[in-house]
Amino acid sequence: MAAISPQPTFEENCFSSPISFSTTNLLPCLEPDYKPFIPANSLRRMSRVLKMGLAASLKCIADSGIKVSGPIVTGTGKGSLQDTEKFLKEIVTYKETALNPTPFIQSTYNSVNGLIALQQKCTAYNNTFVHRGFSFENALLDSMMLLQEGEDHVLTGAFEEITREHFYIKSRIGFWKEEQIDSRELLSHHSPGSVAGEGAAFFMLTNQPTEKSYASITGLKLLYKPATEKLLSALQTFAPAVDAVITGRNGDSRFDHFYDTVEKYFGNTPQIPFKQLCGEYDTASAFGMWLGAHLLRAQELPQAWIGQPIAKPVNRLLLYNHFYGEQHVLIMLERV
Amino acid sequence: MAERVFITGVGMITAIGDNVTENLQQLLAQQSGLGYTRYIDTIYKDVLPVGEVKHANESLFQLAGLPPQEGLTRTTLLGLIAMREALEDAGISELNSVPAGFINASTVGGMCDTERVYFDIIDPGKEGSFLQYIDTLDCADCTQRIADIVGFSDHIATISTACSSSANALMFGARMIKQGLYSRMVCGGTEALTRFTLNGFNSLKNVDKQFCRPFDQQRTGLNLGEGAAYLVLESESFAKANNSRILGELSGYCNTNEAFHPTSPSPDGDGAFDAMRKAMEMSGIAREDVSYINVHGTATLNNDISEGKALERLFGTDVPPFSSTKPFTGHTLAAAGAIEAIYALLAIREGLIYPNLNFSEKMEELQITPVTTLMQGVAINHVISNSFGFGGNNASLVISKYEG
Repeated sequence: MAAISPQPTFEENCFSSPISFSTTNLLPCLEPDYKPFIPANSLRRMSRVLKMGLAASLKCIADSGIKVSGPIVTGTGKGSLQDTEKFLKEIVTYKETALNPTPFIQSTYNSVNGLIALQQKCTAYNNTFVHRGFSFENALLDSMMLLQEGEDHVLTGAFEEITREHFYIKSRIGFWKEEQIDSRELLSHHSPGSVAGEGAAFFMLTNQPTEKSYASITGLKLLYKPATEKLLSALQTFAPAVDAVITGRNGDSRFDHFYDTVEKYFGNTPQIPFKQLCGEYDTASAFGMWLGAHLLRAQELPQAWIGQPIAKPVNRLLLYNHFYGEQHVLIMLERV
Repeated sequence: MAERVFITGVGMITAIGDNVTENLQQLLAQQSGLGYTRYIDTIYKDVLPVGEVKHANESLFQLAGLPPQEGLTRTTLLGLIAMREALEDAGISELNSVPAGFINASTVGGMCDTERVYFDIIDPGKEGSFLQYIDTLDCADCTQRIADIVGFSDHIATISTACSSSANALMFGARMIKQGLYSRMVCGGTEALTRFTLNGFNSLKNVDKQFCRPFDQQRTGLNLGEGAAYLVLESESFAKANNSRILGELSGYCNTNEAFHPTSPSPDGDGAFDAMRKAMEMSGIAREDVSYINVHGTATLNNDISEGKALERLFGTDVPPFSSTKPFTGHTLAAAGAIEAIYALLAIREGLIYPNLNFSEKMEELQITPVTTLMQGVAINHVISNSFGFGGNNASLVISKYEG
């Protein structure tokens, strides 16, 4: 697996770095040097989220040690915002004439997937889900079905970017906090809205464990606009006992009650938050899964990142996340 | 043994009709829906033909059975109209009587409406009801609005793989049924014309100033269209227990990637060849069993060469009758796969092969030519429906007659 995020997660020994933070309510990715992954002449033409998505996918493939390419399934809520904004403006600026098609092509939601397939010469199954907090989740479901159907492995990922312009747009409908906060203190600011984030995370999913496996995904449940009772009944059937809950808590007082419900359900089970590291975005759960899978294999996470020591052993983790109260997901991760 | 997947209800709206019956009438009358836009604000309104649905939004609200309101985009309205017809056609009055999923497809979400107010949205000096369109910027908006209005409360998803989006939605839904996750899934796509997309394709020099001419030597590009279509899919055991009226079977499908170029297929049609071959293999049919192929046939220079080569490679000298229905509807992008899947069902039910309008001259690269006159009274058992798109995303479906 591999992740580009606001933390130095793309680098070796990333956990020894201090936590990176922002005080502007916008937590941008620490973008790596792309040159080892993408040739310079391609890099010049590619917009930001394409670079993040492609580089994360390539590092993930290398990390997995799997040489043969297979299906590629991704999720993104917004695709390349930078290209969409650029093309919208160029249509007006150039009065619909002599337009450069590149931003249009790159704005299509499946362009990252197409690019990975092209780079890997991969002609297998290829799909892109574009549904807010169900984008990565449906990609995961699709991938797990492909493994059930007999595929040996699937490359599954998610990518999202935030632009200044989109940050402003979403601020107009209450996505972010009014007061500017230190992102490290996100969870202690109980007020409407969260902090914007972004990231790309990719996973190589196999139908058999390998010596490289980080974790096993043993359950997945998507809930659309559930009432509290529906969430509770899903928890009962899904996760009677876990060692810790990776929680998507984001300091947004309007929707905290869902996280409270889950926290209460599990009593004294440790809750491990992650949005103080990556901010809030459509596919933030992919970062949460990256963190959880790392924890299951390494049996540790730096206290500076998650604000608490880890009680070992950690064998069963439940990831619970929702996106502004609408798309809820439960992902069960187990130690291999 | 995985369950077979049956189609038990259909609904659609396109440039040639507000419902399935009107679409069939126009296909039989060989009446194209191409013309010039009345609703998009573009310098190309009298230059580039489009397949526009013949209603302003106010009239679409009426067709969707809703009072006009802010925040519902043309994409959502088209989808709602097709969705209501599909559910009614399947005899579903209480949507939540059994758990049902909804898989939608969209290429640009609510862009049709957001592009009109985008510069107000990003202007801090402006306030107003346009702010209600902020949520419609993405592809999930139309899916959730449709889901909430008709009452889907279970699994929902939106797929965006350019021109193959709704073919992939059908595939994903069928696979969820085969996995035993759901016994009923409603799948398809919705697409409204936008200045954004029109300029996008025009910047790629892919749009014909005349009515599009698929598989013609003189073709110079596609015409964009808009519309929506949904199909109700049910597992065999559920459909039988429920006494559902079975319209046909989604017997095979395949998704491949071209891995050739961001916007062009390989010249020999490798991806198209594989997609059709594997879909037929899954369906368990031989080459001679294919009665008709509803080709992707966009009339772009590249698509038709590549798709034509794939047909010749797969079927040799016996290529089944084929035609593109894009000259009727325009290329409806995310909705195309579902619209054409319904045309495949109608071909089976009515014994029809549709004419490929505007064809006159064989392509020099190919030996084959499309069907150019309406054929009636043909026994149609298996139809291949192709959708190929940007990013190299290819999808082929096999739709088969239900023999009881």
